[in-house]
Amino acid sequence: MKLFSLIENEVIKMISKKRLMFVFAILVVLISVFAYGQNHTTERTKAQLTQRMGIAATDDWRKLADQQLIDMKNRLDNPYRDEKDKSSLRVRIEQLQYNLDNNINPLEQSAAKFTTRFMEQSIFLFLPLLVIMLAADMVSGESSSGTIKLLLVRNVPRWKILLSKYLTLMILEVIILFFAFVLSVLISGFFFGFGGWLAPVATGFKVIAGKLDTSTVLNVPQWHYTLMVYSLAYFVAIVIGSISFMISILVKSTAASIGIIMSTLVAGNFISYFLSDWKITRYMFMVNLRLTDYLSGSFQPIEGMTMLFSISVLLGWTIASILVSFLYFTNQDILV
Amino acid sequence: MQQTPVLELSNLRKTIKGKAIVKGVNLTLYPSQIFGFLGPNGAGKTTTIRMIVGLIKPTEGSVKICGYSVTKDFVKALSNVGCIIESPDMYKYLTGMENLLQFAAMNKTISRQRVKDVVEMVGLQHRVNDKVSTYSLGMRQRLGIAQAILARPKLLILDEPTNGLDPAGITEFRTLIRKLAYEEGMTVFVSSHLLLEIQQMCDIVSIIKQGSVIKTAQVQEILKHNDKIEWQLNAPDKAISLLREHWKIEAIQLKKNTISADIGQHPLDKLNEFFIREGLALTYCSAKQNTLEDLFLDLTEGDEIV
Ligand SMILES: Nc1ncnc2c1ncn2[C@@H]1O[C@H](COP(=O)(O)OP(=O)(O)O)[C@@H](O)[C@H]1O
Ligand SMILES: [Mg+2]
Repeated sequence: MKLFSLIENEVIKMISKKRLMFVFAILVVLISVFAYGQNHTTERTKAQLTQRMGIAATDDWRKLADQQLIDMKNRLDNPYRDEKDKSSLRVRIEQLQYNLDNNINPLEQSAAKFTTRFMEQSIFLFLPLLVIMLAADMVSGESSSGTIKLLLVRNVPRWKILLSKYLTLMILEVIILFFAFVLSVLISGFFFGFGGWLAPVATGFKVIAGKLDTSTVLNVPQWHYTLMVYSLAYFVAIVIGSISFMISILVKSTAASIGIIMSTLVAGNFISYFLSDWKITRYMFMVNLRLTDYLSGSFQPIEGMTMLFSISVLLGWTIASILVSFLYFTNQDILV
Repeated sequence: MQQTPVLELSNLRKTIKGKAIVKGVNLTLYPSQIFGFLGPNGAGKTTTIRMIVGLIKPTEGSVKICGYSVTKDFVKALSNVGCIIESPDMYKYLTGMENLLQFAAMNKTISRQRVKDVVEMVGLQHRVNDKVSTYSLGMRQRLGIAQAILARPKLLILDEPTNGLDPAGITEFRTLIRKLAYEEGMTVFVSSHLLLEIQQMCDIVSIIKQGSVIKTAQVQEILKHNDKIEWQLNAPDKAISLLREHWKIEAIQLKKNTISADIGQHPLDKLNEFFIREGLALTYCSAKQNTLEDLFLDLTEGDEIV
């Protein structure tokens, strides 16, 4: 019962600090830019294809898809391409083939597609960034302002104070995703129309030894796919939220905790690019964030990683972060 | 007194990074007492208070509030405490009222009416709906006191509470503290580095220096050190023997031609008249305000009798 009041307090503070407004504003700007860019790219691709093939792109997408397929196969035959590029090309070729066989037009844009794609593109860097902006301040903000003293001398045990903050963070993560979803639909709907929710999407791709295994592929309605993407995004938000939360407890300054977690995240992108042969890197949380890539069958960052593997690694980090947070917070001397 | 002590510290010690900061503090306080914790900056007052309210763990010793151990029975112990520690830090981005409502929400016994009453008690009713970021230090101090007394605690702990208050504010504050102690039965624990402040406000005082309490006493006992008179005159040695022989005044100090003496009940005008009659040329005379340093000298080195 008291926990509810504590959460309410935290939400009031978060709203008064105007951080949520800030997150909202960033989302509006970014989604608008992204939607405009997407629109522009689609138009240009269509125009290029039309020019090359002498037909209007929307009229007969199957011909265009065939053409794309041939393009990609040619690229695959290029002896100067390295093996890694080739295997990912092969994956895409197989997917396109699958689309053709099942009559799924890959060129058509819609609000549904955009909303999904936006989250797929955000999940490893942009979404974590937004979560960090809220999470990194939750405890360190109170340490640096000294208000933590006021909070911890009430007749409420420390773990309960911390739990209320953690649960508030989980609610805020839902709010971020809700903002992202609604804004994506509204803004992209303006460009591409609001439909597309029932169109079939292929998922269930598996990559086995660098080869796309389509034996388990099935078509799901777009809304179903979108739901899966946003669920995975929520999971990633919880992971990043928990880790940032821990850092914000260990490091008592907000700026320092934001700095630490952001640089770790950015370093993760380098690592998955440069050090992908180094086995241990796969246990870092940063290289396991692209969970949605497993749904769409895009190539994985490091050979041999699967959805289950990534989720397990992330879960491990989350549990460890929560444990460290609670143990440290309930035993630390408050000297601010 | 047979009632449960409101606060009981026994052999309280704290060592931070190998440095002993509080070195074995003992204290027992009963309801309605106003206690002054007097000591210079860095003496360990705030560190002691942090241990009392459970912000830091004692290295040794124990804290009991209304019979409950702070380390073992935190929630029950802290149900009886309201406090300000070091500085009245509040959520600057909230208004004064929103701040108080935050704390009220954490304790079901606090009604909205109580919040309003407390705001009036500390005299903040005109500014309570402004953001705390616009408050002066004095107003923040008042808001700090307000949040501390919201839940009608049995023990009110105020760490250097008059910092930032103007003289009128300090007088008001003193009245408020008396009222809380004598009418609402709160035990008030006030720390300060100002002797005068403690003298004017408290019943009992502990004097702490470098982590050790060097004296705990009724305020009157310490007060008696305060009616010291200083004289400068042409023959100090003669004056001292006159004071001894004619007035039976024994506590006399001589520092660089200045005589200072504890004259007790003797009237100063009669003493001065006497000096002049005895042919002494009096150039300076003043009733000296005892400073904390003087008090320490008195307590640690004893009266340096000439
Ligand atoms: N976090 C800390 N680490 C090390 N020493 C500290 C810390 N906090 C306070 N101290 C030292 O403890 C002593 C007592 O400090 P404090 O309790 O704040 O004194 P007071 O409140 O009486 O002015 C000071 O000498 C101070 O330097
Ligand atoms: Mg202090």
